[in-house]
Amino acid sequence: MANPSSLAASLSPEASPDLVKRAELSEIDASTKAPAIFLLGSSVLWLLLGTVFALIASFKMHSPNFLGDYEWLTFGRIRTAHLNAVVYGWSVNASFAVAIWLMARLARGVLRHTGLLFTATVFWNLGVTIGIAGILLGDSTSIEWLEFPPYATPLLFVAYALIGAWAIITFRFGKSNHIYVSQWYILAALFWFPWLYSVAQIMMIFSPARGTVQSLVNWWFAHNVLGLWFTPIGLAAVYYFLPKVLGKPIHSYYLSVLGFWSLAIFYNWAGVHHLIGGPVPVWVQSAGIAASFMMVVPVVVTAINHHMTMVGSFGALKTSPTLRFIVFGAVSYTLASLQGSSMALRSWNEVTHFTHYTVGHSHLGMYAFFTMVMFGAIYYILPRILLKEWPSAPLISVHFWTTAVGVIFYVVAISVGGLKQGFEMNNADIPFIETVKNTIIYLELRSYAGVLMTVGHIAFAVNFTWMLAKRRKAGATAPTLFRTGPEIELEASAR
Amino acid sequence: MSQQPPENKQSMEQAGASDESIQKVHSILLREKPEPSEGYKPMPLFLLGFISTMIFICSIYLVHYRGGFDPLVYDERFDPAKAAGAGGPVELTPEQIVAMGKKLYNTCATCHQPNGQGLPGVYPPLAGSEWVLENDQRLIRVLLDGLNGPIEVKGNTYNGAMPAFGAAGYKWNDEKIAAVLTYIRQEWGNAAEPITAAHVKEIREVDNRTKPWTAEELAAFE
Repeated sequence: MANPSSLAASLSPEASPDLVKRAELSEIDASTKAPAIFLLGSSVLWLLLGTVFALIASFKMHSPNFLGDYEWLTFGRIRTAHLNAVVYGWSVNASFAVAIWLMARLARGVLRHTGLLFTATVFWNLGVTIGIAGILLGDSTSIEWLEFPPYATPLLFVAYALIGAWAIITFRFGKSNHIYVSQWYILAALFWFPWLYSVAQIMMIFSPARGTVQSLVNWWFAHNVLGLWFTPIGLAAVYYFLPKVLGKPIHSYYLSVLGFWSLAIFYNWAGVHHLIGGPVPVWVQSAGIAASFMMVVPVVVTAINHHMTMVGSFGALKTSPTLRFIVFGAVSYTLASLQGSSMALRSWNEVTHFTHYTVGHSHLGMYAFFTMVMFGAIYYILPRILLKEWPSAPLISVHFWTTAVGVIFYVVAISVGGLKQGFEMNNADIPFIETVKNTIIYLELRSYAGVLMTVGHIAFAVNFTWMLAKRRKAGATAPTLFRTGPEIELEASAR
Repeated sequence: MSQQPPENKQSMEQAGASDESIQKVHSILLREKPEPSEGYKPMPLFLLGFISTMIFICSIYLVHYRGGFDPLVYDERFDPAKAAGAGGPVELTPEQIVAMGKKLYNTCATCHQPNGQGLPGVYPPLAGSEWVLENDQRLIRVLLDGLNGPIEVKGNTYNGAMPAFGAAGYKWNDEKIAAVLTYIRQEWGNAAEPITAAHVKEIREVDNRTKPWTAEELAAFE
């Protein structure tokens, strides 16, 4: 049997080089189908579950009696379950799918032995399920970002090792001679995460370090999961989808190199800024603060690179859902990172630390940046592996506007409340209970924002399920865009 | 398949490629833009200044708040010079003095050996040596200004040159000299009183000497 590449080559001799490439891409996409669909499907389920946990936790902050009679729904468990469901359930599943798909495409390598990879993804989700159940049953380790009980984590590590190895094997045996910037980030992240996770598991849970070293390891891990796993995967997606959707090259290779290496050098140090003022040697804190502040360099460099790529094409935001989510995420990355650097400064940290401001910051990073980029990526990837179009443009529109407005509303409300709380807590004349009462109004606003985001997630889940279920149309189809824009995407087929 | 004529195979493939199912497979992929590539625009010049400024600011910050890189300093406002009970050098415990002396002894160990036994006939031993254990005035002077010519140690005569560690030689300060002497007086079974930096300072000021001693000259000090 002739494979699709040679079939396409024989179809039209003059257009053949481009056609061969596209046929090859279609082959590669098809090879990622089973694991990617499973990862994305489970990530959407975890997103919904994590959102429910989030809403319950958020309501409990201003209405403590809400669902107060159930032991497994107490704040300490439900908030932890929220964090772990959205981090290890939604975000990691989505980042696996995006990383594998991007890696296979950019390395021009067909994913082999997908059955084993599929098994690994099932085991990852099994591990997360056991972990979340363990947290709700009260078996949390009480170590932030590592709350999964010890009986869930080895499963996660083995599943991760398999998935990571698959992406690296795909890279190794791919046909591409050029390593695109997205691949640097994905490859680095694939090596960074197991390092972080195994060291943290061993030094925190299986053979705990003593004293303040434990807290240092804890925040080294927790901050680096963001900086050395989610950030690189998110940036890899931005670096791929911006030029891909716009059909023009990324602005500057040199800026990409500078951005990548400065991130690699400085991020690893930054976690200590969670321990400012704690019983940690002051030079370690100062090194962490200096590194956090140096993070302005990769952020500004990357922002320039992305912005200069976008310049002249902002009109495309009106039509392309992928581009709109990705650009929203990229802008949020810049804002979240600059905010993070400022929060590391001692004088500002004294105000913002231990307040809701930090919660706002983490949602700006994990939601407005990472989650929005993943949404954008999924809107692009899914039609290519399912070979169907998104069923409903209005649902995508609802998804974008509710999540975008929701997260902005969320971050602004909780940041203002957090700052007020911080200044009041530093003022010895105000009784502590007053500072707590004064945050209630902002916490209520946060819940409203959360409801808005939930609406968006439901719209996304409905569209996703609808797309999986609907029949594949015969013949050529048009992309699902916000509005008809002939200059985007359709251009290639018009040729 | 292989038995069919070539032109027949060709037409079959074309029929397959123009078939609706193949078209459908490629329709989404056909319309997408080419895979991303990289532009090579040079870096804007202002970035150089910006990055240099960031490195400069962050280095200053780290140096300013380094807390002496001391693992026991937890507060960036801590200044050893202003800390309570300061005004003079930090008091070391006897164990710290011996530990410091042990480190310094590495210099001496090239001749007197790590075990303090010296080399028979060339370098005199320190372990059990009457010069080390008995008269601290002589001992301090040997180290400060050096010693030339024959000397009898534990019944054997040595004829060599001990370099000066004071102003005329290695320029060790009083603390270092006191620490290394205390170390050799308390190691290898030696058990003499420690030597204080104040005592070293006193002798250094009294003598104000620039040339090595001889054994006879030192015998004058009781």
